[in-house]
Amino acid sequence: MWLWFSKLGSPRWFYELSGRWLPWLYGAMALLLLVGLTWALLFVPEDYQQGHTIRIMYIHVPVASISLACFPLMAIAGAITLVWKMKLADMVAKCVAPIGLWFTGLALATGAIWGEPIWGTWWAWDARLTSMLIQFFLFVGVIALRSAIESPDAAARACAVLAIVGAINVPIIKYSVEWWNTLHQPASRISMDAMSPNPPEIWVPLLIMISAVYLLFVISLLLRTRNEILVRERRSQWVTDLIARSQS
Amino acid sequence: MKPHRRKTLGIILFITAGLSLAIGLSLYALSSNIDLFFTPTQIAAGEVQPGQRIRVGGMVKEGSIRHNEQQLQVNFITTDYAHEVDVQYNGILPDLFREGQGIVAEGSVTPEGQFVASRVLAKHDENYMSVEVKAAMDAAERQRVMEQSQAQMQEGFQ
Repeated sequence: MWLWFSKLGSPRWFYELSGRWLPWLYGAMALLLLVGLTWALLFVPEDYQQGHTIRIMYIHVPVASISLACFPLMAIAGAITLVWKMKLADMVAKCVAPIGLWFTGLALATGAIWGEPIWGTWWAWDARLTSMLIQFFLFVGVIALRSAIESPDAAARACAVLAIVGAINVPIIKYSVEWWNTLHQPASRISMDAMSPNPPEIWVPLLIMISAVYLLFVISLLLRTRNEILVRERRSQWVTDLIARSQS
Repeated sequence: MKPHRRKTLGIILFITAGLSLAIGLSLYALSSNIDLFFTPTQIAAGEVQPGQRIRVGGMVKEGSIRHNEQQLQVNFITTDYAHEVDVQYNGILPDLFREGQGIVAEGSVTPEGQFVASRVLAKHDENYMSVEVKAAMDAAERQRVMEQSQAQMQEGFQ
């Protein structure tokens, strides 16, 4: 296991492995996204309360759930950076921040667009919405902090600490709808029975969309990290060889 | 694990645990301020001063909606099935507003106990289903109620 762990820490090994994975990931994402979007936008039945507005959920829930996965990922990568000084962990931590910011922003935006017709307001200062806004600013903070510190090592350490501290917000977002009374509805309980609330015809396309957007997230993270590897390892022999080969 | 790494990991875990505890305790202390609304029970218990701007959340009581013929003004009762609050509102209601719907009204209580709202929001529950499934479920529910009352009537005859 330790061997695997140290191998994973090698940017070159990661670059080559992810290069082999990417075509498969692209294919799987294209397929899932096509099926998921067509199903969610055209074939999911109208909701008995919301009508067509329910289709916003098929974007909102995937991006929101991924934005909640981004912060713990950044915190774990940060902890590995602090303890084991693994180069790759810090690259991942750096690359996940803008993606997390985008997904958090999309979750807030789609939520507001849904809230206007359903709740009657774009925004309410309830616990779920506010804690999600805090996560948005935490991502902005992490990105700003990294570009504010000149030394890469110091920047990596400072961002890792901020990521670990900020990750405390994630369970608060998750359980805000249970701990306090909020305008945002609590998480739904899915049902296997076709004749009950939240039947498979509603959640199966949602599951497909969640998988598709997860793949989109993994692909964006891999592409960004590969770029970061090339930039940071530009003086190493294998990157020089790689560039020489691609130019010949 | 090397000793200096174990030490770093220990410091990280210690700081995270300490901060979680501190944030957890402050959220616990602030919990009444984090709640978006007061329930009718809290208002009945006198937790709110007249004139204080608050939000009240509850269900719209069945048969309690009274629209003013000339104006937008509407009166209704919001309830948590333990206590009730009489709400008066002058404005446009959200589409989801109807009997049995969860709502959040923003405004203040007059000394007479009337809640005057300046804004009414609809809460959406966590249940999603198509028109057909809802209709089928309602039909099944009516069937069940009917059978139950028939059974009770038969018991009464015997």
